[in-house]
Amino acid sequence: MDPTTTESPSPTTPAAASADAGRPAIIEVEDLDFYYGENRALDGVSLAIPSHQVTALIGPSGCGKSTLLRCFNRMNDLIEGAERTRGTVRIRGVDIFGPEVNVMELRKRVGMVFQKTNPFPNSIYENITFGLQLQGVRSKTRLDEAVERSLRAAALWDEVKDRLHESGLSLSGGQQQRLCIARAIAVEPEIILMDEPCSALDPVATARVEELIHKLKQEFTIVIVTHNMQQAARCSDRTAFLYLGKLIEYADTQTIFINPSDSQTEAYVSGRFG
Amino acid sequence: MSEPDTRRPFAVTSRYGGERKVVGERMIQLFFGGNAFVAVLILGLIMIFLAREGLGFFQLNRANLEVYRKAGLEFVEPLRLQENQHNQLVRRMFDLRVESARALGRNTELDREAINARLRPLDDFILAFEDAAEPLIHASMNLSDLAAEIKMAAIEWEETEEYRGGLKPDFDYETARESLVAFLGTQERLNEMVAANLRRVVNQGNQLEWANTALARAFAELRNEALAFATDLPGAYHEMSTWDPNEPVPTWKAWSVFLTGSQWLTASFWQDWYGVLPLLTGSLLVSFIALAFAVPLGIGAAVYVNQIATRREQNLIKPAIEFIAAIPSVVLGFFGIIVLGELLRQFSEIGWMSWWPGFPVAERLNALTAGIMLALVAVPTIFTLAEDALQNVPKTYREASLALGATRMQTVWKVILPAAMSGIVSAVLLGFGRVVGETMIVLLCAGNRIAIPDFTRGLEVFTQPVHTMTGIIAQQMGEVVEGGIHYRALFMVGLLLFVLTLTINYLAQRAVRRLRLPTI
Ligand SMILES: Nc1ncnc2c1ncn2[C@@H]1O[C@H](COP(=O)(O)OP(=O)(O)OP(=O)(O)O)[C@@H](O)[C@H]1O
Ligand SMILES: [Mg+2]
Repeated sequence: MDPTTTESPSPTTPAAASADAGRPAIIEVEDLDFYYGENRALDGVSLAIPSHQVTALIGPSGCGKSTLLRCFNRMNDLIEGAERTRGTVRIRGVDIFGPEVNVMELRKRVGMVFQKTNPFPNSIYENITFGLQLQGVRSKTRLDEAVERSLRAAALWDEVKDRLHESGLSLSGGQQQRLCIARAIAVEPEIILMDEPCSALDPVATARVEELIHKLKQEFTIVIVTHNMQQAARCSDRTAFLYLGKLIEYADTQTIFINPSDSQTEAYVSGRFG
Repeated sequence: MSEPDTRRPFAVTSRYGGERKVVGERMIQLFFGGNAFVAVLILGLIMIFLAREGLGFFQLNRANLEVYRKAGLEFVEPLRLQENQHNQLVRRMFDLRVESARALGRNTELDREAINARLRPLDDFILAFEDAAEPLIHASMNLSDLAAEIKMAAIEWEETEEYRGGLKPDFDYETARESLVAFLGTQERLNEMVAANLRRVVNQGNQLEWANTALARAFAELRNEALAFATDLPGAYHEMSTWDPNEPVPTWKAWSVFLTGSQWLTASFWQDWYGVLPLLTGSLLVSFIALAFAVPLGIGAAVYVNQIATRREQNLIKPAIEFIAAIPSVVLGFFGIIVLGELLRQFSEIGWMSWWPGFPVAERLNALTAGIMLALVAVPTIFTLAEDALQNVPKTYREASLALGATRMQTVWKVILPAAMSGIVSAVLLGFGRVVGETMIVLLCAGNRIAIPDFTRGLEVFTQPVHTMTGIIAQQMGEVVEGGIHYRALFMVGLLLFVLTLTINYLAQRAVRRLRLPTI
C-alpha cells in the first residue's frame, strides 16, 4: 500500500505499513474508514506507529489528521454521527473498537494534549492531580510526588513550584500548554497524542515544547499533528502525510523531507501547496 | 504619478451628505438609550410610589398604638393573657380526656356509656377547674368591654367635624379610664380568691384514676402547671399597677411592631395589629419548600439536557419545561386546590405514611401544597438559567476531562458543575425571587392562616397552613379604605417584598460577577 516502505511488515499487521526497524509497533491502524455522517474523513488508512518514537501527522487542512489522531483514544465517540465504518485500530495488539474495551481505561493509557490550551479553572496542583483523583488516589504524599514528577517532566517545575495553588489560568500560554502536558503525563499513559500543541504559542514557547517532546519520547510514545513543517522535521522520527483522507506516504522523517517518493508529498513539504 | 482617487470621499464637503447619516445614528442611539433610561425611571417611580404610600403607615401605626395605650387596652392585656392561659389549661385537660376515652376503648371491653361513666370524675374535675377561675374571666371580659368602649368613643370623638375644626378639646381619656383603673382596688382580693379556688380543685385531682402511666404523667405535669399558674396570678397585678398611660409611644415602636410583630390582625373588635412576621415567615417557608423541589429538578433537568440527552430528547424536554412557564398561575393554583390538595390529603391518610411528620395533614391546603405548585413556577426559571450556565462552560473542559479517562458523570460532577457554579447559584436565586413574588398560587393553595408557622414542631411545620406577603396584598387590598392605616400597612408589605426581591436580584448578579470564570 505504501510504496516507500522497505522494512518487512510486522507480523500482526501484514497489511499495515510497518514500523521502524527494531522498534515494535504500539499502534497499528489497518484499512480504516471514518465518516462524519455522509462525509468521509478517512479512507483506507493503514499505518503502524512505533513505540518510544515521535510520529508526526502532516497534511493540508481538512485532510483528516485530527480525525485519525482522535481515533486512537476514541475521542471521536463524542461527536454525534461520527462513525468508523471499516478497519481496525490496535493498541498493543488489542482492537480498541472491540466490544470489551473500556474507553475510560483506554484514555488513561492514551493521553491527549489539545490545540487550544485547556487547563481547568482550578489551581495548578488540582489540574495535575485531577486524573489521579479520578483513579481514586487520595494519599497526599503520592499526589505531591506525582505533581512534582509531572511538572519536572514537563519542564515547568522551576517556574511554578512556588505557586502550585494559584489558578492554572494565571500562567502564560506556553506555560499553560506545558501544564496540560504535565496533566496528561501525571496519569502515566503510554501514548501521548498532541493535536497542533504549538499552534497558539510564540516561537520561544514553541521551542521549549519541542525540546520537551524530544525528551518525553524516552518514556512515552508520541503522536503529533502539526502544520509546521520545520517542527515536524525537527522533532519527529517518523512522518505520515495525509491528503483527502488517504495516507499518501509514511516513512522516516528524513526520507519524507529529503527524498519523498510521492510527488504530492514533495509538493506539500516544499510548501508548494496546502 | 498617482492614480486619481475615485472612491467615495470621506471628507464630506456637501452640507447634508454626511450629516444625515450621523443624525440617523444619533436617533437610534437615543432610542436605545431612552429605553434603558425608561426602565431605570420606572424602577425609581415604583420605589417612590411604594414608599410614599407605605411610609405614612408608621405615623398612623404610632397613633394607633397611642390610642391602644391611652384607652387602656394595654392596661387590660395582662388580664386577658391570664384568661388565655387558663383557657389553654382547660383545653389540654380536655385533650387528656379524649385520650383517656380512647385508651379505655382500646384496652377494655367497655362500651361508650361505660367509658363515659368511668370518666365522669375527670369531667367534674375539668368543670370545677373551669369554674374556679370564673371571677378572673369575668373581670377580664368586663374590662375588655370597657376599654374597647373607650377606644370607640375616642375614635368617634376625633372623627367629628368640631374636633377636626379645632372647636372641641382633645378626648378626655383620664376620666374615661377611671372605671377601668378602679379595678386595681379589687384585684388583690380577686387574685387570692381565684388562687385558693384553683389550688383546692387541683389538689382534689390527685384522686383521679388513669388508664395508663403516660396519661397519669401528663396529668401530673398539667397539675403542676396549673399550680404555677395560680402562684403567678399576682404578676398581672404588678404589671397593671405600674402601668403608665401617659408614657409616649416612641417612633421606633411603630416600626418594631411592624417588622417583628407576630400578629397580623385587622378589623378586630379589640386591637388591630400589623406585624409582618407571620407573612414574611409564611412567604419564606413556602418559597423554601418550592426551592427544595425545584432546585434538584431544575438543575437535574438542566444537566441531563445539556450533558446527557440526545438531540431528540433535547428537542422534547426543553420546550416542555419552558412551556410550564406559560401556564397561567391561576390555572396552577386551581389545579393545586382541586387535584394536588386532594391527592395530598388522601395520600397522607394512607396508614403506612403516618410516620411522616405532619401526616395525615390537618388541612388540605397548606404550605406544602402551595410549595409544590410554586416549584412548577420556579423550575422553568432555574432550568433555563442553569442550562445557559452549563452551556457557557467551555467545551474544552469537557474534552480535557474525558481525555483523562473521566466518565461522563465524573466530568459533570467534577468539572462542568463547578465551572458553572456561579450561573447555577444565580439561577437558584432568581428562581427564589420568582417564587417569593408569586401571588395567585399561594393565595389559592397556602391555606391563608395568618400565624407564624410553629417551627417547634419540626418537619410538621411544612403541612401547616400559612399566609404570605403577596397573598395578603391581593386578598385585602380590595377591601381597605384608601389612605387608611390598613391600606398603608399593605403598601409597607409591598415595599418590603420589593426590597426583598431587589436584594435577591442584586445577590444573584453579584454571584455571577464574583464567581465568573476567567475567559480563555
Ligand atoms: N465534528 C465534525 N463533524 C463533521 N465533520 C467533521 C467534524 N470534524 C471534522 N470533520 C470533517 O472531517 C474532515 C477531516 O477533518 P479533520 O479535523 O480531521 O482535519 P484536519 O486534518 O485535522 O484539519 P486541520 O488541519 O484544519 O485541523 C474534514 O473534511 C472536516 O470537515
Ligand atoms: Mg485538526
